[in-house]
Amino acid sequence: MLSYIIRRLLTMIPMLLVICFLIFVGMELMPTDPISYMVGPEQIANMTPEKLEEMREALGLNRPFIVRFFEWLGGIARGDFGYSLTNGQPIKDIIAAKLPATIELSLYALLISTVFGVFLGILSAVKRGSTTDSALTVLGMVGISIPEFFFGLVMILVFAINLKWLPIGGRTLPEYTSYWQQFRHVIMPATILGISMTAGVMRYSRSSMLDALNRDFLKTARAKGLPKWRIYILHGFRVALTPVVVLIGFRLPTLVGGSVVVEQIFQWPGIGDAFVTAVRGNNYPLVMMIALLTVTMMLAASLIVDVLTALIDPRVRLE
Amino acid sequence: MTQEYIPKGRAKQIARKMDKIDAASKLPPKKQLIKSRSLRKLISNKLSVIGIVIFTVIVLSSIFASVISPYPPGEVNLRESLRAPSWEHPFGTDKLGRDVFSRVLHGGRISILVGLGSALGAAFVGVLFGSYCGYKGGLLDKTVMRISEVFMSFPQMILVLLLVSMVGQSLANLLIIFILTGWGSVYRMTRSQMLSIREEEYVQALRAFGLNDFIICFKHMLPNAIGPIAVNITLSTAMFILQETSLSFLGLGVPVQIATWGNIINAANNMSILQNNWWIWLPVGAVISLFVLSINFIGDGLRDSTDPTQMG
Amino acid sequence: MNQDIILEVKDLSVSFYTDNRKNNAIRNVSFVAQRGKTLCIVGESGCGKSVSASAILRLLPELSRIENGEIKYYGREEPINIEKVDPDGDLIREIRGGEIAMIFQDPMTALNPVYTVGYQISEMLLEHNKDMKKDEAMKKSVELLSAMGIPQADQRVNEYPHQFSGGMRQRAMIAMAMSCNPKILLADEPTTALDVTVQAQIFELMDNLKKDYDAAIVLITHDMGVVTELADNVSVMYMGYVVEDGTVDEVLRTPAHPYTKALLASIPILGRGRNQKIEPIRGSTPDPFNRPPGCQFEPRCDYATEKCREAMPEREFISGEHNVRCYCYKEVLKDE
Repeated sequence: MLSYIIRRLLTMIPMLLVICFLIFVGMELMPTDPISYMVGPEQIANMTPEKLEEMREALGLNRPFIVRFFEWLGGIARGDFGYSLTNGQPIKDIIAAKLPATIELSLYALLISTVFGVFLGILSAVKRGSTTDSALTVLGMVGISIPEFFFGLVMILVFAINLKWLPIGGRTLPEYTSYWQQFRHVIMPATILGISMTAGVMRYSRSSMLDALNRDFLKTARAKGLPKWRIYILHGFRVALTPVVVLIGFRLPTLVGGSVVVEQIFQWPGIGDAFVTAVRGNNYPLVMMIALLTVTMMLAASLIVDVLTALIDPRVRLE
Repeated sequence: MTQEYIPKGRAKQIARKMDKIDAASKLPPKKQLIKSRSLRKLISNKLSVIGIVIFTVIVLSSIFASVISPYPPGEVNLRESLRAPSWEHPFGTDKLGRDVFSRVLHGGRISILVGLGSALGAAFVGVLFGSYCGYKGGLLDKTVMRISEVFMSFPQMILVLLLVSMVGQSLANLLIIFILTGWGSVYRMTRSQMLSIREEEYVQALRAFGLNDFIICFKHMLPNAIGPIAVNITLSTAMFILQETSLSFLGLGVPVQIATWGNIINAANNMSILQNNWWIWLPVGAVISLFVLSINFIGDGLRDSTDPTQMG
Repeated sequence: MNQDIILEVKDLSVSFYTDNRKNNAIRNVSFVAQRGKTLCIVGESGCGKSVSASAILRLLPELSRIENGEIKYYGREEPINIEKVDPDGDLIREIRGGEIAMIFQDPMTALNPVYTVGYQISEMLLEHNKDMKKDEAMKKSVELLSAMGIPQADQRVNEYPHQFSGGMRQRAMIAMAMSCNPKILLADEPTTALDVTVQAQIFELMDNLKKDYDAAIVLITHDMGVVTELADNVSVMYMGYVVEDGTVDEVLRTPAHPYTKALLASIPILGRGRNQKIEPIRGSTPDPFNRPPGCQFEPRCDYATEKCREAMPEREFISGEHNVRCYCYKEVLKDE
């Protein structure tokens, strides 16, 4: 098992290198002086032009492209992600500050979509062809068709402005003393993010479960005289689980990408919000670094999915 | 004597359905007006018919926008600013006094163009490479596969925004970005379809006849993969429309001066408009949702009707 | 009433309603299974033989139903009309596995891939023996597996189906089917997916079971060779009808239906050398949605007459249990 994980990690490295390279090329193409994001701003402010040129030489900015790429890569490996163009903050600090918010939001959304999606999908498959099934199918399609921002606006209008049940946006306020006060902020964004994903999970669980229900061993289970719940849950659902886990696993990192819009509407101080702000302000170093972060998360998720699949499906047990 | 079991609940429903089929089987068979089985199945699917109707209505009213609504979409009339819906302005007017209804109709042109255009463009690139690489294999296949992996290792929205920040905002740029980020999934799907079709006997036979690779690939094999490709095009149209409106909503899509669905709803970023002037964002949001829903209905119907495993 | 009869199927009809059309899968089918005897149901694929077996356990798919007829089970003090019970109820669940067990054609797909073989056997044992403990069930599973000739059963019991070979899997399936000492074993083409050598072993195993447990075996097959070796009684099915039924001697020695006769003529017999005459049946099986109006075999039959085109013949008894659905059976018999 461990050796498998290591092998998988090794195969991911070339991919990651290629993407790093592309991102570096992207930054080189941008019309921004690299020194402005490699050195802290207060340092630059105190420098004469000659001094700056010296600094440039010292930083190796006049060296060939490929050398600079590897130095940049080394910097990333050491945790030096450069500086934000707009306020000169180290990018590392920005990510460290924003990531927890996004992860909090994503986990709630993942929880909502998994619980509802899997449950409704299985219900729909077991009752295939019934009114419940068609109603759920239509509902699922409505769910993926309503744009998140529109749904968000309607929710804000109803629950925040008119009913005043929930706060309009933000994540927390300084006067809060317990997590439960803060929790009210996450409800709307997590629900919206969760609902837009629920439809996909539901559809997928349904077809996966239907597939399992049509398999021969389900007839065997029935022929054994097992009760219905055992047939559906222990034999049907257990087998349908593998593809569902794969889907949910791959959703993890897309949540970071998918929360961009929701974070904007609810002014949620997460990575997506920081990303959009950076794109708006042409803050390339931050844009590139966040993109790199999401790619790394995608790759990590695919590894986790593989390991999980191996754990729940004995046919792909790894040596 | 065993007591007779009388079906209840779901079993009863199914029994009733079987009775209906039984009764129908005793009648003489109806004449079938539509020859194609796929088309017949699509039409018998209620949801896809609803989808086709909504889709057609919205597309036609966008095309004939200038006929339906007398106001040019960009015409500023500050005296008419923020009027509520009335007979003259069915969706009211916005801050600059522009007729929202007219903007929604004209905006539909751009949004639909972007959605459909990107989907077709992505499908063209994806199918072109997918079918040839799937059929030929080899170095080209491996290279294209790697490239698609690079594209697909980014979350879609992140990649789109990244490219937007690099190339800047314009209608053409947006189309190119959508095609760049969207071709990968079509490519993979077509490729895997072709890989399985390639194993079929008739392809071997065509090869043995010494037919040109391009002819075998695009004339003989591709038509057999057209069902899933059509489904993919419809579903990605829906996805691109959602993405365009999301981007424009964020102010990062089509330049603000062009009316698109997303740019119209962008106005609702303002708290006072959100609260007091519902007509500016609610109807357009509903139109986007309806339109995307109609495409999804059509796509779903297409999926069912082209799936050869479901006969009948 | 014959005391040995354990299962009696009488005038059973089953229809399928998938894809919005009605398919009369089996029509007025009758046969009996007796304790300690093997009944072979033979026929081409699609003739309804598997449907009959599924109907006995009420395992038919959702959009299908028993239209008429009786399935009488005599394994308890009171006979049970299986066709009348709730297909999801407790009674049929006790019978399934506990009294009538079934094994399927493809052992590759009939076992659940995510559970160990031992788990799947003990699951069945625990279901039908409420006071049995888990470790007892596991121990019994090991015994059953080794009784079915699986070496190192104590280790293999913890393996997953994909670690078993095809023949081993079918043995495991049989072990599972026999675990609760069923009175009837329904075997739906149990060896079709297996190698010929493995086939012979599996049949030997089933033959022993019949003797040791005094179980009735209903063996569904398309292979006439299997019939000659294993059967005590034979039912020949064609397009949903039992066209001929009787003891193995009667049916194989004096086939009265042209279809049976043609089937027998179409298989080579070992030891007759290479010059024996093998005659394939002409034509092909009709589309179930576009059936011949009269006798189902009429378009392919050498004896067909005007009368055959009008209606399916009724059952006629020739002697004892031997019966046939043919207007011209006398000529067929004469031709022998």
